[in-house]
Amino acid sequence: MKKDMTRRDFIKLSALGLGASLSACSETITWDDLFQKKFQEMKPDEIKRFLKKLEDRYSKKYGKTFTVKATPPQENVVFGYGLDLSRCIGCRRCVYACVGENNPSRDVQIHWIRVLRMKKGEFNLEKTEPYYDADKVPEDGYFYLPVQCQQCENPPCVKVCPVKATWKEPDGIVVIDYNWCIGCRTCMAACPYRARKFNWNDPVLPKDEINTDTHYLGNRPRMKGVVEKCTFCIQRSREGKYTACVEVCPVGARKFGNLLDPKSDIRYILDNFRVFRLKEDLNTESKFYYFFSLG
Amino acid sequence: MNNKTTEYIKIFLKELFYVLFSGGRYFYIWMSSLTLFAAAGVWFYLRQFDEGLVFTNMREQVSWGLYISNFTFLVGIAAAAVILIIPAYLHHSKELKKIVVLGELLAVTAVTAALLFVFADMGRPDRLWHAIPGIGTLNFPRSILAWDMLVLNSYLFLNFFTALYIGAHRYFGLEPDKRIALPLILISIPMAVGIHTVTAFVYNGLAARPFWNASILAPRFLASAFCSGPALMIILFQVLRKFTDFKIESRAIFKIAEIMVYAMALNLFLMLTEVFKEYYSNTIHLAPMQYLFTGLHGHHNLVPFIWTAIAFDVTAFFIFLVPWTRMNFKTLNLGCVLVFIGIWIEKGMGLIIPGFIPDALGEIYEYTPSLHEGVISIGIWAVGCMLYTLFVRFIVAVDTGRLRHPSAPPIIHEEKETVTAQDIMTTRIISVKHDTPISRISDILVSNRISGVAVVDKEKKVIGVVSEEDIIFKEIRNDPKLVERLGGTILPETSKDRVFEGNIASDIMTSPAVTALEGTPLSELITAIITDKKTKRIIIVDKEGHASGIVSMIDVVKALEKV
Amino acid sequence: MMEGFNKHVGVALLTVLAVMLFPVSALIVSGADMEYSFDSPKVFSSEMFPCSACHAGMKADSTRRTLAYHTEIQLKGHGETRMWCFGCHNAGDRDKLKLAGGEKVDFMELHRLCGQCHENIYKHWRAGIHGKRTGYWDGPKRYFLCTFCHNPHSPRFKPLAPKPVPLRPTETLRGRK
Repeated sequence: MKKDMTRRDFIKLSALGLGASLSACSETITWDDLFQKKFQEMKPDEIKRFLKKLEDRYSKKYGKTFTVKATPPQENVVFGYGLDLSRCIGCRRCVYACVGENNPSRDVQIHWIRVLRMKKGEFNLEKTEPYYDADKVPEDGYFYLPVQCQQCENPPCVKVCPVKATWKEPDGIVVIDYNWCIGCRTCMAACPYRARKFNWNDPVLPKDEINTDTHYLGNRPRMKGVVEKCTFCIQRSREGKYTACVEVCPVGARKFGNLLDPKSDIRYILDNFRVFRLKEDLNTESKFYYFFSLG
Repeated sequence: MNNKTTEYIKIFLKELFYVLFSGGRYFYIWMSSLTLFAAAGVWFYLRQFDEGLVFTNMREQVSWGLYISNFTFLVGIAAAAVILIIPAYLHHSKELKKIVVLGELLAVTAVTAALLFVFADMGRPDRLWHAIPGIGTLNFPRSILAWDMLVLNSYLFLNFFTALYIGAHRYFGLEPDKRIALPLILISIPMAVGIHTVTAFVYNGLAARPFWNASILAPRFLASAFCSGPALMIILFQVLRKFTDFKIESRAIFKIAEIMVYAMALNLFLMLTEVFKEYYSNTIHLAPMQYLFTGLHGHHNLVPFIWTAIAFDVTAFFIFLVPWTRMNFKTLNLGCVLVFIGIWIEKGMGLIIPGFIPDALGEIYEYTPSLHEGVISIGIWAVGCMLYTLFVRFIVAVDTGRLRHPSAPPIIHEEKETVTAQDIMTTRIISVKHDTPISRISDILVSNRISGVAVVDKEKKVIGVVSEEDIIFKEIRNDPKLVERLGGTILPETSKDRVFEGNIASDIMTSPAVTALEGTPLSELITAIITDKKTKRIIIVDKEGHASGIVSMIDVVKALEKV
Repeated sequence: MMEGFNKHVGVALLTVLAVMLFPVSALIVSGADMEYSFDSPKVFSSEMFPCSACHAGMKADSTRRTLAYHTEIQLKGHGETRMWCFGCHNAGDRDKLKLAGGEKVDFMELHRLCGQCHENIYKHWRAGIHGKRTGYWDGPKRYFLCTFCHNPHSPRFKPLAPKPVPLRPTETLRGRK
């Protein structure tokens, strides 16, 4: 009972407070938003209207025409990813290609991909360096391990979410409904790969770098207080395209494809190279395979 | 609603207002300062609500901080409030029964404050309704956090309802119905263990955090809860004794302190086992513990804190262990403060932060709380203190009769001050029927090691007593040779006139039995036993004459020792 | 004479067509059933190709020396102690390359030449998992000729300047500037 009053009070206070605040970056929470139904429970026509509403809102906010799709998964597709550690040179082009494609906040900075530099001769995740700053890469004596969401088949983040705001789609991508997330960050504590990121404030997106071709569960602009992460570029992969990180890699270290197709790139890798997954002992059954094609 | 009820409600509200908001100088200073802190907390929170958690120092690397540390600690306090219920109801400790309600209200306050910390930590508090089962989509039973939400709210409701139930009854001068109150109170014991176990499981179940992914976490939580919660209560009860009419006996306080020794020993032992396991096995998972105890790669912010906490815990343990320091209020209070702060450090920041350092990818980000987090946290603690103050004022007023329904009977204060038969009697009384054979009675006396049995009629009313003397005298009377064998016995005067013929209880019993009502004061009982009737035992009966207990010499000796 | 003229016109037209087609990014080559895309401007620009335009009249000189004209071509890190130009290039016909057995291959099929020594990589490339990937996982694969990424005379990638370091946890963009 007491909590009820607190919530109502805060909603009233916040409505007043937000109404009074004129920050262009701050998202106004309307009455509709407060009681928005869960996306998974919406009927097709509701979804259509909802997506249109979002498109209008984004277009208005950023001054560009947005599309927000809700492309469903393809049949008989489960995505897998391959990363050739003998080739990665740590140039971070994948990190910034992802930023350009997926609209994360620049301040507080969110990078969905994190490249870790490690010393040759060991593979110790306690001794990594993400802030390496060299004139040229690769540096002598080091190798590089890029980490992003591993799209686990047995995801610990999905298990712990108290409101079912995150789940695994049939094509294997673990997605988040940004409008349902309550921002408790238990999923962030549960992820062994630090793949999940949080919007500590309203995302700051430079208007000239915004990608307006978006997916509801993927790269549409987020809001403060919600969790986000790599979605294997759901807006691209569900239309048959490669992800942004795969395309930009200048040394071809990244591979992507359909695990259920025996002729796909990723299946060739699984058949011909010895692969491993990070923290395999945690039984997450990640679909992000690391391998070494050269020495 | 008729006029009389409206009148009563008006009177109640007016009285309540005075009870809650008027008091002495210290009361006003206390409440005003708390209001200031709470207001500051609210002000800072509004900023955080508007712009986001960016005002905290939590980031991707350390995504839980001061708020969740406080939450964890407060759940422990809430669980430990129940420590009073176990001795009170399971061991019939009457003095603790009275203060059980205070413990329940502490549980309510602690859970409320804990939930406020969760609220403060949420990214989207406006979406809290997503977690309500039926309206939102609560991920029950897969998500342990969902369990925690259910269990904490149930515990809150349970304790609040019970306290309100008892309080309301006392307001109307009625006795709470034991059939409702007792089950509610007893259920809160497993629930208290439940809330803290489930909260432990929230951390425990995260394989990504090796520092928490240890089975020992739930037992550690419970052990530390039973150190910190009662420590707070001991201090609170002394404050209550001083500033209100509430009477809490020192005996009760020392009893709580005694129980705490075991909890403290367990807490230290469990900590030791954890430290051994990590340091001896020396795997990669030692890193968070190293960060905490000795620093890691040049980062050592938490090291002085954890060692302070350990020093406090150990000192407090010895203070509580040694009876001389435990039963001395100066040292006892010092011990309470030490253990409270110590547990706050090791269970709050000392548990949550190292869970994220180093993080899942080996990075070390030394989190320290920001100003916002500090002010908001203090604000929530202030709200908790205010809440408890108001609760206590309400209960004390109701209990002492200051807040009472106009048509309720006045409180009889004498009952509280004197020891009555009911307080000292042995409740286990064996009765026999009037036609029970004497040989059977002998067996009963010998095998139960008692000195007498009550004799009851068909309606179970007491009609007499058969004691060991009656049996001996019968034997001796009927067997003169026995007298010679025993070397001659001098029979007491009273029995010379008695006839000991026959073989059943009614033949040798003393009738009418010496009885007393349950409410008879101790002084009268002593008089009866020692001076008047020269009886060694008195059967305590209820208003209908049924036996409810027995007071014999040894019970009197025990009572005198306690008083 | 008309025939001769037509022949010249035909050759000229073909040459113009060939010159126009080569800089175009996508070309379909039958046989290997693959779609190629390559861009190697220096070699195939209209200034350079066809090579025989200059070399037909020159004598082939296989001595190891610093080249007078093709100064930008430095054979480095690609078997320069074991081979010289004519290990891959055809002394007689500069418009084609030469396999180890002597067979002439077109520049458009130079993967067959590279694949002789780099067999593993060639195998992976044919399967589609070597090198850059763009386009559709769910469609025809897009292949890049070796020289799209690798300089044939110095194929090893040079170290790149990495993109900016990520911000530290409580660093802000404003703070950094």
